[in-house]
Amino acid sequence: MKTFRFSRFAGTVVAVVALSGLLPGGVEAGAAEGKRMFDAKKCGDCHQTEGPAKAKTIQDQLATKGPELWYAGSKFKKEFLGKWLKDPKPIRFMAFNSLTKKNPADHPQLSGKDVDEVTEYLMSLKSKDVEEGVVTPDKNPKNRNIFEKKQGCYGCHPVKRGENILGGLTGPTLIGAGERLNPAWVYAYLKKPKVFKPVKRMPVYVDILSDLEMKGLAAYIGTFE
Amino acid sequence: MVRKIIQIAIITLLSGSLAQAATSQENYNYYCAQCHGLEGKGDGPNATESQPVSPKDHTNTKEMSKLSKDDIIQVIRDGGIATGKSTMMPPWGKTITDAEIQDLINYLRKLCNCKFENEH
Repeated sequence: MKTFRFSRFAGTVVAVVALSGLLPGGVEAGAAEGKRMFDAKKCGDCHQTEGPAKAKTIQDQLATKGPELWYAGSKFKKEFLGKWLKDPKPIRFMAFNSLTKKNPADHPQLSGKDVDEVTEYLMSLKSKDVEEGVVTPDKNPKNRNIFEKKQGCYGCHPVKRGENILGGLTGPTLIGAGERLNPAWVYAYLKKPKVFKPVKRMPVYVDILSDLEMKGLAAYIGTFE
Repeated sequence: MVRKIIQIAIITLLSGSLAQAATSQENYNYYCAQCHGLEGKGDGPNATESQPVSPKDHTNTKEMSKLSKDDIIQVIRDGGIATGKSTMMPPWGKTITDAEIQDLINYLRKLCNCKFENEH
């Protein structure tokens, strides 16, 4: 009886230790496989995966071929990333860095376990400048007012109003932003633009919007369907 | 020898600073053309039918010459709201420098082929 109890206890201990070791190890292994896949498919030819930001001038920025991904794990929501890699629908209406060409919608797509592994890899690319949990999605009219009236954000970013699509075409779409973006990253991007993208077509709002307004804006964008 | 080193250092510094500085056309094409178009005709990709206002046509000599230089500087720096216009024109004062805004004024003069109010 004692032997049975001991072996059951030992078995449980072994299982717990094995699992606790395996789970994070599994994620790490997935991320490592994802990186191998990312490199094999030459995704790095278009996407920067190691910080800090490199493009410091307009010429530098125009020479880049795709969005920086070195903070992808802080920017995107994991569920979105997995879906998008499988079925990459354009996030920008215009081709990257172009004001004259439409997005050709020709981003390579992944399938099978590559999707999960590349997602794990991209989600492992975190930025220390994004403080998790500081913004909660919130439709407060004050936040809407900042987005639509105090600043005309939809002047560049497409948004959905009812069944209609409104706004400009040069900014990444904010349709579905609640599903796609981590609102804490949106706040950090507004607060520390030089960290994430020193040169970008969006104006710098530091010292124009208050900290509270930036949080409100990020919270409002976090509700976008 | 020392003189040559100093010369090389000056050239290196100058070429570095030249690479950093954006020309008025680069700034216009990168920032302004999103709404105002690469030729300044107010037909950039953001000038969609759903927008509440149309971006200004910078090639319209008659309309542009009604504006004062100070008002244009203020609008570029602080956005349309600074002169009672639409907030769809955003503030660029924290994105580009005052010197670059001054350069943009010269570029706008070329686009409109005009002088601004009180410049005659």
